[in-house]
Amino acid sequence: MKSILPIFRCLNSLERNVEKCKIFTSSDLCKVVIQFFCRHGIRRTHNVCFQESQPLQVIFEKNMCSNMLIIQPRVLAEAVVLFTSSQEEVTLAVTPLSVCLKSSSDEPMDLTSSVYSEMFVGPDEFDFFQIGADTEITFCFKELKGMLTFSEATHAPIAIHFDFPGKPMALSIDDMLLEANFILATLADEPSRASSPPSLCLSQKQKRSDLMCSTNNNSKTGKNATSKAPGCILRKAAPKRLYPNETQTDIPALENCGSPIMKRVNEDISEVPESSVSNTEEGPGSSYLRQFSCVFFGAVSSDQRQHFNYPFDSLATASDSEEDMNNGSSSTF
Amino acid sequence: MKFRAKIVDAACLNHFTRVSATIAKLAKTCTLRISPQKLNFIVSDKAASGGVSMWCELEQENFFSEFQMEGVSAENNAIYLELLSENLSRALKTAQNARALKIKLTNKHFPCLTVSIELLSVSSSSRIVTHDIPVKVIPRKLWKDLQEPTVPVSDVSIYLPVLKTMKSIVEKMKNISNHLIIEANLSGELNLKIETELVCVTTHFKDLGNPQSASEDASQDRDPEQMAEVHIDIRKLLQFLAGQQVNPTKAVCNIVRNKIIHFDLLHEDVSLQYFIPAFS
Repeated sequence: MKSILPIFRCLNSLERNVEKCKIFTSSDLCKVVIQFFCRHGIRRTHNVCFQESQPLQVIFEKNMCSNMLIIQPRVLAEAVVLFTSSQEEVTLAVTPLSVCLKSSSDEPMDLTSSVYSEMFVGPDEFDFFQIGADTEITFCFKELKGMLTFSEATHAPIAIHFDFPGKPMALSIDDMLLEANFILATLADEPSRASSPPSLCLSQKQKRSDLMCSTNNNSKTGKNATSKAPGCILRKAAPKRLYPNETQTDIPALENCGSPIMKRVNEDISEVPESSVSNTEEGPGSSYLRQFSCVFFGAVSSDQRQHFNYPFDSLATASDSEEDMNNGSSSTF
Repeated sequence: MKFRAKIVDAACLNHFTRVSATIAKLAKTCTLRISPQKLNFIVSDKAASGGVSMWCELEQENFFSEFQMEGVSAENNAIYLELLSENLSRALKTAQNARALKIKLTNKHFPCLTVSIELLSVSSSSRIVTHDIPVKVIPRKLWKDLQEPTVPVSDVSIYLPVLKTMKSIVEKMKNISNHLIIEANLSGELNLKIETELVCVTTHFKDLGNPQSASEDASQDRDPEQMAEVHIDIRKLLQFLAGQQVNPTKAVCNIVRNKIIHFDLLHEDVSLQYFIPAFS
């Protein structure tokens, strides 16, 4: 994501200047090309190198969970404020009559330990409240905060699907424009039991290339004991550590791929491989990808000039580019 | 030992939150002393505070609609608790728009000050927030170090200028040197001085006014123009000034020449005393 973010950084200036944005892959080279067609005939091109990877995918039927809550992000944000940023894990405790979010810690308390905090929320604060049985699940606080930041931008309600401790939980947002699912692991009751029942066996998405899968290396919690065998990756929970978002498909370290040579635009957006697009969304097929692309393209003016019919001028080679080549992305102006 | 108290008034709650926020800025760890009429936040100079000490006092009936306490024993009817000031401040900050706030001393697995907040919410049901702040009960034998400091007989007593102004000046001076000289006289003049090899910087405050001296005779003998000075660590003064979010109702500074400087502030009905010793 780090290579994509700077390209879309100045939202205000993008909205003012950009008439159309095109994202496509170059058929020969391992590059995603993002092109901004700006006012005054200016065309800005960014080349982002990618490398094939096998994204992890969790098989998780959120609709099969016996417990489901739908809540406004604002309410969850008010709960999250109670905890310090050093809080690692929080527990969601539900009964048919109440929902409680509380801090979770294994260590015995002493003077220097952090404050224990909890908040009880009544069922009528939820847009939807379905609780099968009394449950308490514990999961990573940082992931919840990250997901909450994401959802506050969309203003859509958050759906929480969960079952029993040890079984993953899902936080979902379903908006007009996008659907996001965050699957989090939860702490199992007994350390000896593996937290991933067989249903969590990860399978690989349909591949277009024959590259070996790469491991997810950027996780800070050091959780990854992912085996390299493509096909099935079974993750065992350590008693204490929790695993953050498992649907993350990170863009692996990008290589410096030399001078960008412009080629004819490939108009078929659906060919963009999922690993280089937003890593929070799942869903098979290109119809989803086109849906995603509307998020960016909706704001563009409908004044369509047929830029993509012109062959690309190679205005400058990489050596003229001001961008830092070490990111593996470069732009030509 | 028992303690339970309740605040229902929004203004009282805000005031108490502000007091705890000020304490959190002044000292990382402090002692909360609970007695039948008062609450005190104490930092003793024996603690690892570099000789700085603080005594903050508030009348409990100005804040709490209900207040019950039972000290260690009938003769020693007080409770001394040590806690991280930041914990209390953060817990109180989550109580904005609360319908009611209760504080009590509990002992679940560890002695805690439990802050229980009933929050108003948009829907009909209210939300209950609870914070368990870990505390350490201070044994009676250590109480003698935590008594109200005696106000020293000062050479000069003067009203302070606007604290915010003083703070911004002291902040800039800190960049030049850590050694600050404060001097004042009985004619309402106060100077802040920094002296280094390369530069001397002095800021003069005039027409500040001096509080009426208790002993009129002593002040007759003193030359009103004569300055009493004390050399202190500028960072300690800056920490004190940075902790004051609101300008106090009354602010007095007492200087004991070359010994100690004593700040006596009154924020509405809460008194705060802060002692900074001179460089030894």
